[in-house]
Amino acid sequence: MDWDVILRNLPFLLMGLQTTFKLAIVAVAGAFPLGILLGLCRLSSKWWLYYPASAYVHLIRSVPLILVIFWFFFLMPIITGRPVGSFTSAAIAFIIFEAAYFAEIVRAGIQSISKGQVMAGLSTGLSYISTMRHIVLPQAIRNMIPVLVTQVIVLFQDTSLAYVIGVREFLRWTSLVDAREFRSIELYATAAVVYFIICFVGSTITRRLEKKGGRLR
Amino acid sequence: MHPYGGWMLQGIFTTIHLSGIGWIIALILGVVVGTSRVFPLAFLRFLGTAYVEVFRNIPLLVQLFIWYFAVPLMLPPSARLWIYENVPNVEYMAALAALSIYTSARVGEQIRSGLQSISKEQYQAALSTGLSQIQMYRYVVIPYAARIIIPPLTGEFIGIFKNSSLALTIAVSEVTFMTQRIDSYTFHGLEAVMGASGVYIIICLTIMFFMGFMESRVSVPGLIKR
Amino acid sequence: MIDINNVNKWYGKLQVLHNVTEKIERGQTVVICGPSGSGKSTLLRCINGLEYFQQGEIIVDGVSVQSRSTNIYKLRADIGMVFQHFELYPHMTCLDNITLAPRKVRKKLEEEARTLAMSLLERVGIPEQAHKYPGELSGGQKQRVAIARALAMEPKIMLFDEPTSALDPEMIKEVLDVMIDLTKGGITMIVVTHEMGFAREVADEIIFMDEGRIIERGTDESFFRNPKSERTKQFLSKILM
Repeated sequence: MDWDVILRNLPFLLMGLQTTFKLAIVAVAGAFPLGILLGLCRLSSKWWLYYPASAYVHLIRSVPLILVIFWFFFLMPIITGRPVGSFTSAAIAFIIFEAAYFAEIVRAGIQSISKGQVMAGLSTGLSYISTMRHIVLPQAIRNMIPVLVTQVIVLFQDTSLAYVIGVREFLRWTSLVDAREFRSIELYATAAVVYFIICFVGSTITRRLEKKGGRLR
Repeated sequence: MHPYGGWMLQGIFTTIHLSGIGWIIALILGVVVGTSRVFPLAFLRFLGTAYVEVFRNIPLLVQLFIWYFAVPLMLPPSARLWIYENVPNVEYMAALAALSIYTSARVGEQIRSGLQSISKEQYQAALSTGLSQIQMYRYVVIPYAARIIIPPLTGEFIGIFKNSSLALTIAVSEVTFMTQRIDSYTFHGLEAVMGASGVYIIICLTIMFFMGFMESRVSVPGLIKR
Repeated sequence: MIDINNVNKWYGKLQVLHNVTEKIERGQTVVICGPSGSGKSTLLRCINGLEYFQQGEIIVDGVSVQSRSTNIYKLRADIGMVFQHFELYPHMTCLDNITLAPRKVRKKLEEEARTLAMSLLERVGIPEQAHKYPGELSGGQKQRVAIARALAMEPKIMLFDEPTSALDPEMIKEVLDVMIDLTKGGITMIVVTHEMGFAREVADEIIFMDEGRIIERGTDESFFRNPKSERTKQFLSKILM
């Protein structure tokens, strides 16, 4: 086994890793706010917020990520009228896709706050929005953090799917190097180890957060 | 439409049996892994945990590539030759292996979680009435745990179904692969992709609907806080 | 001050309030007692609009609670409520719990709100807990902070929903003492409780509810000595021992 192949091609692999991180960060930056918005709409009593948001979430969650990536790969040039780079298509696809998952986490988090808290806030004359802002959301977010971090780790793993439209992220570079060097075992094992370390560290952090945070009483 | 319709149907069929067989294997492995994580033997627990952590933290696509590209190279040349000559659909096998093992790790996690949610006191209460270990598992633990585990397990079933789409990258002709093939022939990729989406949506919603129905049939009032 | 007229409420098919009618004068202390599920808490929550009722009318100080033209937020600001499970905001200090509404609703300045909050904490006897979090307090202390929080809006009416039911026996007295002190101040109070000793001591009127209906009402002595209905007698015999 020739482990040198890793060292020789390190620059390429690192470039791929950088793209992976970039994609993940862009995706989270877009998907998280969108997810919060969708989650709140799912809790709304106004039908024109609830039904569209619910349809969006259920639809996206029924479809594989690869398909969503293909959607945008085909759709983006049509929408913008110009050719769109694969990174951008992938980023948009990730944002749209992961937002649906963040939305469910947000919804569950807010629903986990007891109704009594809402009533307490309202009984002092606070408006519904004020009650949400000062009482429910701070508590809900604190409770949601472990699950949110887990979802970010999942998102990080999902970036590998950008491979299918040629985005030069980490996995794509690994396979490009493999096509040249034919050292599949060393290369893919390394890729596996890298992903493993990143995700395992992430999930360990989550576990710590869960233990420390606890539920506020 | 023909032969594209035919291709899509073929693809759907492949998707269904790839996911189905994968699910069965994943369930069996998952039960083994999940229960080993709650076993009194520390070594077994460690093995189970290692299994789950390894296969959960590596992206499915990477695992798929390892099975398809790397594993054959790890076998002795004679075995490799035998596989390439005698096993008809190597890509399918690689996809099956990757899918089932990945999903089994997740299933194992759900099962562990379900088993652990039953408190020690429940076990003690059952044993104190004179039930044997086996009876306790059969009449108390499993019915209770099953009701807790089934909803997330449904999620995993839908998951393996969606994840089968990854097999397109190693040329397994499941439904998403077919959309690409149709696109390369007709440049009507968008329509093909929309069609495939429709397929996934219909199947997933059907499964969810069915499971919802099942859940309400077997649910016990007040048992699970929703 | 509070006019409850023929209020009927259903949860789906289940009717939880039947033709409830009652008049409560300004400054009165009214105790509502009765078995679980009799609708007492529900009635209380209808008064400040936290629960909706399908039929009837509740008029608080001239304002109809469910009328469309009513500003329910303003109404709620004038009514204080204390809950069985305290419902303090766990992520804020006691002081912040109390000052939140005065700052956001009455637009008080930080300084002003704090002074008010501290004086209320003194009134309920625990000024030293001001900067602690609810999780660090005992049940009795939490409930007293909750009372201070409700008083911070300077309400005309105070509603208490089983304020001592979730407390350990030793802490019940400290909360009841605060409530007794309040009754002397002239504020209108409606208290849902099982604490008959409290009722006997301070209540101007006692109402017994069962299955969504007002079964009996009376001034303290007449209620306890000569209960008119069988059901009331039954209830009293069980809880008075």
